[in-house]
Amino acid sequence: MDKSGEGKKKGLQENKYTRRDFLTVGGTALAGGALAVYSPTKTEAKEEEYPLSTRYLVYDSKHCAGCYGCMIACSLVHEGVVNLSLSRIQVHRAVLDEYPFDIQINVCRQCPEPLCVENCPTGACHISAENGNIRMIDAEKCIGCMTCIESCPFIPHRTIWNHVTGKAIKCDMCADTPYYNKKGGINGTQACVEACPANALKVVTEIPDQTDINGYDRDLQPPRKATPDFPFALPKAKAKSKE
Amino acid sequence: MSTPGFAGKILLVNLTTKEIKALDTEKYESYGGGHGTSTALFWEYCVAPGDWDLQDAFHPKNMVSLMTGAVSGTGVPAGARTSVSGLSPQCYPIQWFCHSNFGGMFSAWLKMAGWDGVAVIGRAESPVYINIVDDKVTLEDAKALWGLTSWECQEEIWKRTGVRYGQEWQESDGRYTLQRPAIVTIGPAGENMTRVASLIHGGGSGAGQGGFGGVFGSKNLKAIAVVGTKGIKIAHPKGLKDARDWFDKNWPPGPGFGGFGPQSIGSACVGCGTVRMCHNRDRAWSQDSDDCAESTWFSHTPENETRDRQQIQRDNLKGTDIVQQLGINGMETCFMGPMSFPTDHNPDFPIQPNVPAYTALGWYMKKMYDMGVIGPGTKYDVSPLKMEDFSKPEFMEIYGIALANRFGIGDLLAEGTARFAEKLGRTDDFNTLCRLTMWGYQDHWSMPGVDWAYGNLMDSRDINSHDMGMGKPFSFGGGGGGDWTCERFVKAMAERTTKSDPFWFDYSWQGKQAYDTGIYSKHKAEFVAWRQHYWNYYKESVGFCDWGYAKLFSAAHPKGYGHTPEAEPRYLNAITGRNHTFQDGLEIGRRGWNLKRAIFVLQGRHRNMENFTGYYYRPGASYCGYATELPIYDGSNWDWQNCRELYLTKEGVDQWKDHFYNIEGWDKDTGYPKRKTLEDLGMKHVADLLQANNRLGSA
Repeated sequence: MDKSGEGKKKGLQENKYTRRDFLTVGGTALAGGALAVYSPTKTEAKEEEYPLSTRYLVYDSKHCAGCYGCMIACSLVHEGVVNLSLSRIQVHRAVLDEYPFDIQINVCRQCPEPLCVENCPTGACHISAENGNIRMIDAEKCIGCMTCIESCPFIPHRTIWNHVTGKAIKCDMCADTPYYNKKGGINGTQACVEACPANALKVVTEIPDQTDINGYDRDLQPPRKATPDFPFALPKAKAKSKE
Repeated sequence: MSTPGFAGKILLVNLTTKEIKALDTEKYESYGGGHGTSTALFWEYCVAPGDWDLQDAFHPKNMVSLMTGAVSGTGVPAGARTSVSGLSPQCYPIQWFCHSNFGGMFSAWLKMAGWDGVAVIGRAESPVYINIVDDKVTLEDAKALWGLTSWECQEEIWKRTGVRYGQEWQESDGRYTLQRPAIVTIGPAGENMTRVASLIHGGGSGAGQGGFGGVFGSKNLKAIAVVGTKGIKIAHPKGLKDARDWFDKNWPPGPGFGGFGPQSIGSACVGCGTVRMCHNRDRAWSQDSDDCAESTWFSHTPENETRDRQQIQRDNLKGTDIVQQLGINGMETCFMGPMSFPTDHNPDFPIQPNVPAYTALGWYMKKMYDMGVIGPGTKYDVSPLKMEDFSKPEFMEIYGIALANRFGIGDLLAEGTARFAEKLGRTDDFNTLCRLTMWGYQDHWSMPGVDWAYGNLMDSRDINSHDMGMGKPFSFGGGGGGDWTCERFVKAMAERTTKSDPFWFDYSWQGKQAYDTGIYSKHKAEFVAWRQHYWNYYKESVGFCDWGYAKLFSAAHPKGYGHTPEAEPRYLNAITGRNHTFQDGLEIGRRGWNLKRAIFVLQGRHRNMENFTGYYYRPGASYCGYATELPIYDGSNWDWQNCRELYLTKEGVDQWKDHFYNIEGWDKDTGYPKRKTLEDLGMKHVADLLQANNRLGSA
């Protein structure tokens, strides 16, 4: 079992993908419960270049408190409800698994060569120049075909199905947050980052290393001080008397 | 249509008939959710039919209910508690209607599945667990789970689904989730119907006090598992987010609770982390366990002092994991003795030979052995315990296993300290040797902060309210208080209660002043009533955690303001869309509190029973106090005084009870609620039933 939370689908194991490796999915219908089942068919890759995103959400899985505050905040500011299924960041806590594999954090990687954008048949999933080249989904154009969901090369997929609207959603760095009183997006704040009590989320401008998960999963903590014993302070160890 | 913040349905499961029903939450909303709703359900299903005597917690007719509150799952910090209610097998001598609660993910997951709570009655023929996936609820065979520890049981239920959680999106009626079910379960201690059994969720979120694990066991109910894909409707999403920002700005998060050394990684309940991180992710530092009560399970034996400090902590935390896996109430069964250890807070804490402090089952058992009451030459064989190994870490594991499985001496210990002492014919020990409060629970810092003690007396358990420590070191975080004079402090506290009576915080305990403004006064009775109403609604019904609420004072705030009374209605109104004031919440709490009082009365509660254990009336009563420097008003000035010598008088307590019953609208002679009181709270039906049972207070 891949405990990294950044498992990749077959064909992309080494992450040495090129545009020649772009995949699309045949058909648009999904069997119930089969979102993770992937049946790619290789098609001719397109030749255009994609501008890099200017923002990336990175995380610190080793210091995440597993409180789901980021997911709650995400669904709240975007959808106006608390619903973990509608969160664009997905944290999964396996409370009895061994640390540090007890928490998986799955964020949209704002891929340099985004298959979700590549394969969207309507242009709904696009690169937003006015939002710092973030990969975004225009709800007006989305027809709910799930192609972007099927195209995401990561397990679990980072494009999310919104069962309420019947459309796909994904992390937009809070650029489109109707239930947020703050300015989001590339020059604003992100609700998930703001909600995190463990400083385990951060938005960076440099593209993270794409060769493995460590580019996104990194130590975000300042040097840690020992915390005080509370409320019970144990007695200091007594030196054995020589007498 | 239910109010935002509520899922709208309550699950009622009858394990005898296998009937599964959805009740409309709206019918019970006026009780506030959580424990308030559970109390109303208990009244409707267990009391009103009048077909049993309300005395045996293990009776199939007992209802155990797990209920969420309006803040559950909404991301409000310190708002993830699941309230547990029902008759309690731990309460002594009567198994009172009681409550407990636990944190973690369960309350959020339950609401996201579309349920505000689960109420269980009856008894299954063979072990089962309740499996909830959104609206789909099934009773699953748990024969193969019976005998497993709480951790093994959860792992097994997760395995049964065959899902790779976190990697496979699971579908439910067109909705998807990556999450595994949240499970609350019992270990062997619950299965064997010990009176000290916890409900365990995750690694160590547990409901210990009350012994509700044994109630699950009596029903052949091993676990409840839930996963949901629905949303929680929020009336004002922007307002909720703003409320959180406002809170963080005014009361920035402090250091967490988790942190037994720099290697320890804290974790938090759903939506929390702002107030504290009470758990650990690292199994080496006790897996997801509460760092407080359970981590003291195997600690403070004098021999520990000779061992390496780090090793002591590791042994203690290993003990924590054992407690969680076996599903034992760590606090009740721990090894703590009469405060035979110094603390940083009280380095010169006295050892009081006549009135021990904080004595628990493990220590009391050893004392009985040392005194020759149990062990060789007596009729009580202590096997499988080797008492000569008492101070060794391996002893705790054998002790826990024996107790949880009722092996050997464990069968007696499984009855809890009070009944263990009763079996030995030593109930006088409650007054002398072991410090046991009036309803069979350990004393837990109830003195000299007498409001905690009074709360215990009027409720049915250790109220476990850490929220309003009045002691100087507690309130100021050990910082000494800066320019916060005593008078300024009590006035700031009083202002935040909304009643502005500084004498609520006067701990004068001697002479006339004690009766005028101090611990026997009407002022103190009003404060205890306020606190019980607060507790009944904001904490046990809404779902706020005791470690975060109430908070009347904060030395870090420029005006000394704690977040009470602003945070509670601010969060709640954003979630529900109501326009409730803080006072409205107190009234809802008063309603539930009076309904609960009616249940107590029908179980046999009377003024004559509401007496403190003898040691409260003797010098030394406050020798277990955590923070003993309290505000005292001498008739003209306020000052801090060390109240370590504080003890009560029976005359004074009688005076206080007169005041308290009067404030609550209860009969002064019997303690029974009056008709007017109940009818004013919209509970004529309760008054009618009390009257039919000759338990209605005189007008």
